[in-house]
Amino acid sequence: MDKLKPIFARLNKFPRVALVVIGLFVALGTFAPWLAPQDPSAQNLLQGGAGPSVAHWLGTDHLGRDTLSRLIIAANTSLVSVGSVLIIAMTIGILMGTIAGYHRGWVDDLLMRVVDVGLSVPSLIVALAVIGIVGPGYWTMVLALALAWWPMSGRISRAVAVSIMSKPHIEALRVLGASPWRIYFGHLLPGTIGAVMVYATADAGTAALAVATLSFLGLGIQPPTPEWGQMLVDALPYLESDPRQVILPGLALTAAVIGFNTLGEAIALNRIPKPLTRRMLAMRRIEVAGWGKENSDA
Amino acid sequence: MIHFISKRLKHSLALLLLASVVCFTLVVSAPGNVAVLIAELRGAVAVPGYVAQVEEEIGLNKPLLMRYVDWLGDAARGDFGISYRTGQAVSADLPHRMMVTGTLIAGSAVIATLLSLLLGFLGAFWPYKLPDRVSRGLALIGASTPTFFVGALMIYGFSVTFQLFPSFGFNGPVSWVLPWLTVAVLPAAVLSRVVRVGLEEAMTSPYVLTAKSKGLGRTAILFREALPNITPVFINALGTQVGLMTATGIIVEPLFAWQGVGDYFLAGVRFRDFMVVQACLLIFLTFFIVVNLIVDLAVLMTDPRIRRQWS
Repeated sequence: MDKLKPIFARLNKFPRVALVVIGLFVALGTFAPWLAPQDPSAQNLLQGGAGPSVAHWLGTDHLGRDTLSRLIIAANTSLVSVGSVLIIAMTIGILMGTIAGYHRGWVDDLLMRVVDVGLSVPSLIVALAVIGIVGPGYWTMVLALALAWWPMSGRISRAVAVSIMSKPHIEALRVLGASPWRIYFGHLLPGTIGAVMVYATADAGTAALAVATLSFLGLGIQPPTPEWGQMLVDALPYLESDPRQVILPGLALTAAVIGFNTLGEAIALNRIPKPLTRRMLAMRRIEVAGWGKENSDA
Repeated sequence: MIHFISKRLKHSLALLLLASVVCFTLVVSAPGNVAVLIAELRGAVAVPGYVAQVEEEIGLNKPLLMRYVDWLGDAARGDFGISYRTGQAVSADLPHRMMVTGTLIAGSAVIATLLSLLLGFLGAFWPYKLPDRVSRGLALIGASTPTFFVGALMIYGFSVTFQLFPSFGFNGPVSWVLPWLTVAVLPAAVLSRVVRVGLEEAMTSPYVLTAKSKGLGRTAILFREALPNITPVFINALGTQVGLMTATGIIVEPLFAWQGVGDYFLAGVRFRDFMVVQACLLIFLTFFIVVNLIVDLAVLMTDPRIRRQWS
């Protein structure tokens, strides 16, 4: 238990809103199938568009499906897709960033130009272009978003990698005759992953937004799988008679994004100690931690 | 000065060329045989002879580099080829669509600028007091609400509940208000923070101390000393936001039934009409490059420090 204490101490520095919202989002997303009171795709046309009742706490949509259950299952859909997008994007970004930071020179220049271009084009346009060429589908969406997202983690990991590479212990390792592989996998990569992961969690909000936007446009998650953006567009024709079905998924999504954005702001303002995952990488990090010590006193 | 401009222009031209290569490769690498698609579109069964004729006609049998040069030449003259879906020229109603999207972006940029300046100044005038907290809260909500949700709320609020503005269509300024507001929410929220943070930073700088010691009031300092100093930063951020508005336009245009470039792009993506996707992508990328160029020149105009560096 003692090992958990520093983690809780760090969590306490998080903005409360972010902690609650993100915790709720992750918990709902993980346990959605057990939490949803009813089958999210069970239709009952006779009860379509009903208001809140004991059976349906938040009413039903135009097909008579229970809104609360669909909102909860949508958290799961969102969590899974955002998770896959970020994992793929971070893998590409960290690989590119560390390679650029390790080699410098023309490799660095080339990769960072690509990152610059990727960052200057809105991610929605990149994702849509990829979908337009490959064709819509769940994995196309995930891959397209990952392609639009990796430049951000690429830039961060490059910055971290450069700072690690300039530390004296790397030079010492070189002098001792450590192979490039040992420096790269043993020291550079583990040091970079932690820092990038913290930033990536802050990105999760915009990634969730992008998933919802693509679903809203009909190019992301397809019905009948519930997803907030797609629930909203489904209910849009009935906006006049039943605005609740439009507003509820919108609010759920907005709340999630607000949570992640508050976290992102706190990270940007340096209110959260950067090496959040330090305990997880403790042994390795103590070796590499020259750069981490400077920041961890916040 | 001229040195900077010429260097910057060269940079933009290189980027334009890169953008065109990206757009070209995207379509070349797309799966499926274009000639067969077009032959079938024209009603003929894709007999090999006719397919070859189509290939000849649109130049598919030439080497790749020649095709790129041909395509670039055509695109520069505003000819983006034939739509795979309709069989008509892609560029047919492109000028009108660009006008529609231009209206959307221009109006939203103005609204976002005014709103963000208002919110940012409110916050900077009463730092950490109620107006600051309200403007900060609004910025957080504005930056976190999905654009399509904002649009739905606008339609519900201003069009269904209070019938003030029409919920769709592109006819006259009254119908422009809701899309403008919808697109402006996100940039206004982001920019208001830029203004607020920039002003706070400026207010703690030595020249403001000098102004204070000269006996200038807070309003005078904010407008005469701090405002010119945040202008370059603001223009920079505004440029980024204007670029992002093309993406927001893709969401907002279909929502309000506007026939803009974003709507066209989305339709192209939906029906996998590569020529349309390619044309719209090239327009978007050109727009980003031009906006960036204008921003750099505007920053040069408004920031004497940078101007001195280059003169």
